[in-house]
Amino acid sequence: MSRNIVVTGLGAVTPLGASVAAFRDGLFAGRCAIQEREYSADRFSLSVPVAPIDGLEDRIKELSPQLMRADRFSQLAALAAEEAAAQSGLEFDEALGARTACIIGTGIGGQSTFDAGYVAMLCRERRPHPLTILKIIPNAAASHLTIKYGVRGPAFAVSSACATGAHAIGVSAELIKSGAADVAFAGASEAILCYGALEAWKAMHILSDETCRPFSKNRKGLVIGEGAGVLILEEEEHAKKRGADILCRLSGFGMNADGKDMINPDVNGAAGAMKLALKDISIDDPSRVYVNAHGTGTLLNDPTETKAIRSVFGAGADALAVSSTKSMHGHLLGAAGGIEAIAAILALREGIVPPTVNYDEADPECDLDYVPNKARERDIAVALSNSFAFGGLNAVTAFEKA
Amino acid sequence: MERSMAELEPTLLEIIKDHAVGLTGELSRETPIADLGIDSFSVVEIIYEVEEKLGVEVPFNANENPFGDMATVGDLIDALDKLIKK
Repeated sequence: MSRNIVVTGLGAVTPLGASVAAFRDGLFAGRCAIQEREYSADRFSLSVPVAPIDGLEDRIKELSPQLMRADRFSQLAALAAEEAAAQSGLEFDEALGARTACIIGTGIGGQSTFDAGYVAMLCRERRPHPLTILKIIPNAAASHLTIKYGVRGPAFAVSSACATGAHAIGVSAELIKSGAADVAFAGASEAILCYGALEAWKAMHILSDETCRPFSKNRKGLVIGEGAGVLILEEEEHAKKRGADILCRLSGFGMNADGKDMINPDVNGAAGAMKLALKDISIDDPSRVYVNAHGTGTLLNDPTETKAIRSVFGAGADALAVSSTKSMHGHLLGAAGGIEAIAAILALREGIVPPTVNYDEADPECDLDYVPNKARERDIAVALSNSFAFGGLNAVTAFEKA
Repeated sequence: MERSMAELEPTLLEIIKDHAVGLTGELSRETPIADLGIDSFSVVEIIYEVEEKLGVEVPFNANENPFGDMATVGDLIDALDKLIKK
């Protein structure tokens, strides 16, 4: 008997707002959270546009003593998980803990702890903090959540750069389908806004020096953001039996690899992942499909993704609503697939498509309907979230109404 | 030169107090360890700070927790004192 996957909880900590409601309001208002900020370490500093989250100190202080001392990426994951768990209404008792999975990914891990450790060692000749290792390991967020909720089922971190969040959701769904768990915390977290990391991204020459303008001809690159997105996934009968409020179904997941290049994206890889995500979904009307694009705002991603979408939807591509919410919340790297899945679910549930903001110049290479600058009311039947990582790893999640 | 117990004790108490997130009243030798709210992280942090503040090496192996069956802060200070003098 096949086991279907439904979503019963959402949690978001994003530059647009540190709850799903605040995230939703920012998305539909077309608000841009990108701002120029300076980061320093010892005698070094740089100033770059980023999408940070401010004002979480009080909520972090309410976390457990161990989470209070964790790296920021674990803390953001815990805040997102709290919201998702509360919405699900699940009580994580002994029996449920044994049947719950916790797959929380991160693209990098405890980057700012790493940076601080090196600054202490190399600039101040001090030893790194003794908890450095426990803070930086990429599984730290997943482990902290297992402790917080008494999860004793499958738990680990996935890491696939910008596709991490989507992989975490997809792999969690597969674990539930296989019978290894009935419920999963699924998502990802990223918090790399610190001097060393930003200098490294800058060295790659893909950071925008102003804002993020996906699909617009004058786009200048990506803007790094921080945050976490966590979903509660649940086996459908398990959710129905307890009378849960089912938010939507996760009706498709596709993943593959380009097998070609570390930097350059591949049309066939991206298209193949979308096709796999759509294989059990019948699309009667492409105007009722929303694609939350990977849409990084880099020179290469946006036309490649446009061609991939065209190759999947053919003549129907012009009817799609496609937008990159990265124009508002920046690129959350590993966490992108987590919060963008939530953006896709919000569009599906509310019948409003979030826009691509900062769009002001058409590009002949990017010729789809990107919902420029203003949210749009539209009845959505299928919502896709695209994630295509450096290293050619692709993951796409697809949601339908419950 | 070896420092005496009397010299070390105020510093050790201060370090322990800094990490006693669960402590509500005053800290003394008689305070039960269970009242401090310290966890596995705190043990590692306390050892590190003892080393930093006193300029000593504490030959503590996190895999063989020598603090296992202690009851009070006094027991903890005595254990640290023994390790420091090793």
